[in-house]
Amino acid sequence: MAMRTVLACVSANFPKTLSLLPRAAQRPAYWLAWKPCVPRTFSTASRLSSALKFTDKHEWVRVEGGTGIVGISNFAQEALGDVVYCGLPEVGTKLKKMDEFGALESVKAASELYSPLTGEVTEINTALADNPGLVNKSCYKDGWLIKMTLDNPSELEELLEEDAYEKYIKSIED
Amino acid sequence: MLIRRAFDICVKKQHVFKSVVSSPHSTLSPLNLEGGGGAILKSLSTNVYENLAVEDWIHDNIDLQGKNILFLWRNSSAVVIGRHQNPWQECNLKLMREHGIQLARRRSGGGTVYHDMGNINMTFFTNKKKYDRMKNLNMITKSLNKLRPQMDVRPTERLDLLLNGHFKVSGTAAKLGRTNAYHHCTLLCNSDRALLSSVLKSPCQGLKSNATPSVPSPVKNLLEEDPTLDCGIIMDSIVTEYTKQYGLDHHIILIEPKDEATLPGISKMTQDLQTWEWVFGKTPKFSVSTSFKLGYKLSSAMVTLNIAVKNGTIDSCNIKLPQHWLPSEMCEHLASHLIGNKFCPSETTRLTSALLRTCPQSEELHHKWNILCENVASVM
Repeated sequence: MAMRTVLACVSANFPKTLSLLPRAAQRPAYWLAWKPCVPRTFSTASRLSSALKFTDKHEWVRVEGGTGIVGISNFAQEALGDVVYCGLPEVGTKLKKMDEFGALESVKAASELYSPLTGEVTEINTALADNPGLVNKSCYKDGWLIKMTLDNPSELEELLEEDAYEKYIKSIED
Repeated sequence: MLIRRAFDICVKKQHVFKSVVSSPHSTLSPLNLEGGGGAILKSLSTNVYENLAVEDWIHDNIDLQGKNILFLWRNSSAVVIGRHQNPWQECNLKLMREHGIQLARRRSGGGTVYHDMGNINMTFFTNKKKYDRMKNLNMITKSLNKLRPQMDVRPTERLDLLLNGHFKVSGTAAKLGRTNAYHHCTLLCNSDRALLSSVLKSPCQGLKSNATPSVPSPVKNLLEEDPTLDCGIIMDSIVTEYTKQYGLDHHIILIEPKDEATLPGISKMTQDLQTWEWVFGKTPKFSVSTSFKLGYKLSSAMVTLNIAVKNGTIDSCNIKLPQHWLPSEMCEHLASHLIGNKFCPSETTRLTSALLRTCPQSEELHHKWNILCENVASVM
């Protein structure tokens, strides 16, 4: 089937090649910072989150018996909206800090997940397969995502304590 | 200054145009987009994998701080599923194979769409802070409204674009990365609606899955509403509106997705999108429970099939058939060998042909075995 299509094309007056600003590898990254002025309550979470460390990409890590448990923060789950699917890695996957390890799909978008630490995935939260909404309802407890080994425990020191994380959120909301 | 060119585009033949960025005297350097504002890019390819790879490339390689990029692309016939979808659930894979329609899985979420040259794809790249899908859709409807004031196209809360408040002409999906984001959407201008409807209907019975489902909608082409429109006119109008909105110069950079010099690393990205592991293997685990009747000469039997599939591979398999029709050892033999195999008709046929040699040599059993295997493969 032949189709005649007219395509509007390119200007003949091409500017000289525009130069690319290479992306700075070390630039601080906001995770989902387009929702300003949403009141945030940490109080219900703080009792649970006392041992939590945070990344500037809004993931949390809690260490229990040498294993790191990873999830996303309340700020992140609110910004995401209702999670409809959790794409998690296979057990045994080896991750380096900042590696993409999966994605959460919500009505907003498919949002990638980045590993806060270097280690191997030892367990994934299988409850999320049938109940992805746990990530919204109980992001610090039942909505955990993966468990992993801690190959470089010193990486924990690079993460934010709860107070520092709270300050960080306030600063990006302003 | 705009140059208008008219092209004859047939299904089987495509014109390939040299990127105006390239010079015959020098090798291409990597794509550069400096300064504030942004750019408008248009793909020279109609290959769905190449175009999806360009999206990945821009997302991964371009600093979008303070920038807005619009990427326009069209594909020859293809079905594109969302990142966490199940192709067996979403489309008619057999029909697609017969028509040479490609299957791609994109990295954004959302549902399944059919692409052909009558559909325009638009990708809006921004950094995460500036991610705003409704803003993009409003820009599209504004441009269409200027083009044809009497045509009623409006966005919904679900971020579809509806024509006359009823027919879907556009669907949206998006991806959020570390610092960048993109929102892409389709726009039905002059697509083959009959083919669209038939390929987006899965014949699969008894499939249970928690993959993200599509929301089927009645669709219509913009050209059916106004035959004086075409893809070119519509793209032009959108480009005009986009340049106005973001204060850009009205020019379009043509992108050749096969060009490794302009887009270093793109070949691997294109390859990755075509692997079986990505297209089919990324399917969330699912199960198929179905029964069908097998007939040989004057005898028939009901067979019950239960297959669990994980990462596109058969994880468990149970085939129940009356003993009088086919010995149960043969069914168990088949079922056990299917485990670990891809949930794929050609792979299954290869396997079952090999297994046939180990079967008893009776002609009747051979025929019945073949009938069983064909039917099992047809489920895939």
